[in-house]
Amino acid sequence: MEEFLQNYGFLLVTLVQQSLLAMSLYFPLSAGQLSLASPGFYALGGYVAAIMATADYFAPWRDALGWAIFPLEWLIAGLVSALLAFLVGVPALRLRGIYLALATIAFVEILRVVCLNLAITGGAIGIFGIPQLFESRWGYIWIFGPLLVITLIFSYRLDRSRVGRAFKAIREDELAAGAMGINPTHYKVLSFVIGAVLAGIVGAMSAPFLNTWNARQGTFDASISYLAYVLIGGGRSLWGPMLGAVLLASLPELLRPLKDARLIINGMVLVIASIYLPFGIAGALQRLKLSTLKRYASLRGGR
Amino acid sequence: MSVILEAHRLSRSFGGLRAVNAVSFAVEEGEIFGLIGPNGAGKTTLFNLMTGLTPVSSGTFTFRGTQLTGLPPHRIAGLGIGRTFQNIRLFKGLSALENVKISQHTRTVTGLFGGIIGSKTSRLEEIAVEEKGWEILKLVGLADRATEIAANFSYGEQRRLEIARALALDPKVLLLDEPAAGMNAAEKQSLTAFIREVRDLYNLTVVLIEHHVPLVMGLCDRIAVLNFGELIAVGSPEEVQKNPAVIEAYLGAE
Ligand SMILES: Nc1ncnc2c1ncn2[C@@H]1O[C@H](COP(=O)(O)OP(=O)(O)OP(=O)(O)O)[C@@H](O)[C@H]1O
Ligand SMILES: [Mg+2]
Repeated sequence: MEEFLQNYGFLLVTLVQQSLLAMSLYFPLSAGQLSLASPGFYALGGYVAAIMATADYFAPWRDALGWAIFPLEWLIAGLVSALLAFLVGVPALRLRGIYLALATIAFVEILRVVCLNLAITGGAIGIFGIPQLFESRWGYIWIFGPLLVITLIFSYRLDRSRVGRAFKAIREDELAAGAMGINPTHYKVLSFVIGAVLAGIVGAMSAPFLNTWNARQGTFDASISYLAYVLIGGGRSLWGPMLGAVLLASLPELLRPLKDARLIINGMVLVIASIYLPFGIAGALQRLKLSTLKRYASLRGGR
Repeated sequence: MSVILEAHRLSRSFGGLRAVNAVSFAVEEGEIFGLIGPNGAGKTTLFNLMTGLTPVSSGTFTFRGTQLTGLPPHRIAGLGIGRTFQNIRLFKGLSALENVKISQHTRTVTGLFGGIIGSKTSRLEEIAVEEKGWEILKLVGLADRATEIAANFSYGEQRRLEIARALALDPKVLLLDEPAAGMNAAEKQSLTAFIREVRDLYNLTVVLIEHHVPLVMGLCDRIAVLNFGELIAVGSPEEVQKNPAVIEAYLGAE
């Protein structure tokens, strides 16, 4: 067991972490907004945590708070992300579809370039030697795990609440949602902020986990990976993003023996899935379940 | 009887086309008001102006004395104006029940966190929303298919579900854009009775656009006739039928 965790602990925690980032895309998507801004907020949250954990200015805080500085980092990363998401979201969410996606990619790039040039973020080198919360990599499951559980419960409850219904209405037909009394701007910004807060907190938790934080965290590539997680897993189901993240993030590991050929297989999986599974794996499973139920009902003499 | 809706010289141009041109009329509380006219006369555009989906070029529109022009659609809906769409715009991927739950939005207040943690208000509201959803689906005869997604419904059923969704908004005024389009003769027949029934049940004022002349004549208290964006007649069905300008407009259009 000990050896297994030594070898696979890092991978397991990474899978949970990637699932969380996929979920951060899922929230705006549940309101019909294709935002690729998550890596930006992830990077931002990481910088907040890295700075609070290493900068001299925060030394007295660290001494006074002890381990409690970590939850404070998450909190502040969440708040900063919420604020920035609000400021960016209000103008950006006027854009629709692919234009919103492009604008959010631009946001991620701008943030990256800014962090690359600021002294406080360590410039091109970044921030390293970030103090650890746990002794082993595996230990981080104790923060990422509960966060994933909370996020899943959150999204399950959201789906069945007034605000969640407003999100879905906007996703289905924004104009009709407006005519039914729902303020589209308000709820689009809210969905965007929820995703940003999650990505920011995940970033803050990831800074000690990865030990160093620099401008390579939160790039365009990451945006595309997260999008792939959601599309492959299924963007209309609570479990979809997690399923996609686990599958796609572990695929390169599983295919490691194949060397460079694994990139080809990885790409092929993406193409095949997007052709044959329009609603992702979760959507396909759902349909399978429905048709099985129907067949069962007809055997029993139902409709 | 008091005036509930009042349009004053409402106008809207699309480029050089005057889709609605200085249209003025008043709708009385509780009446069923018909809006007819040849294709492209500007009827749907007029509905869009009234519900804020299309900004007006000029003119004003008031609801019980409150100025609606310039307000966003969700505010107008919140004040109590519900509508259906000529080209059905249901939340197609959601169940019938969810469709009628969604439009109870403005009558409820649960926020993000209240809903997540299941606050007392949110739980009470959920129960009430669910109950009212079922009640309205029963009223339109779709309760036995409440959990099916809207896209699976037939054309006539989708029209009824759209009316249900607008009713769940708890409106004072119901705007129906060609509710009988695509319905068979039997469905059209029962639609007349149904519109009267909900008007009485919920004390509604109904404005409806309809091409099917017998239905309009049999159902409406008063009728307004649009032609090329202009209002050419308003009056009782008998008056409008005899109006030379109306006869001219319809024969000319044929
Ligand atoms: N968004 C728009 N942009 C440009 N022109 C428009 C727009 N909406 C409507 N029009 C034009 O305005 C005129 C009135 O259209 P409208 O849809 O209001 O007619 P209508 O009376 O509802 O007709 P129908 O009976 O066919 O539904 C038409 O000539 C139409 O082409
Ligand atoms: Mg029309």
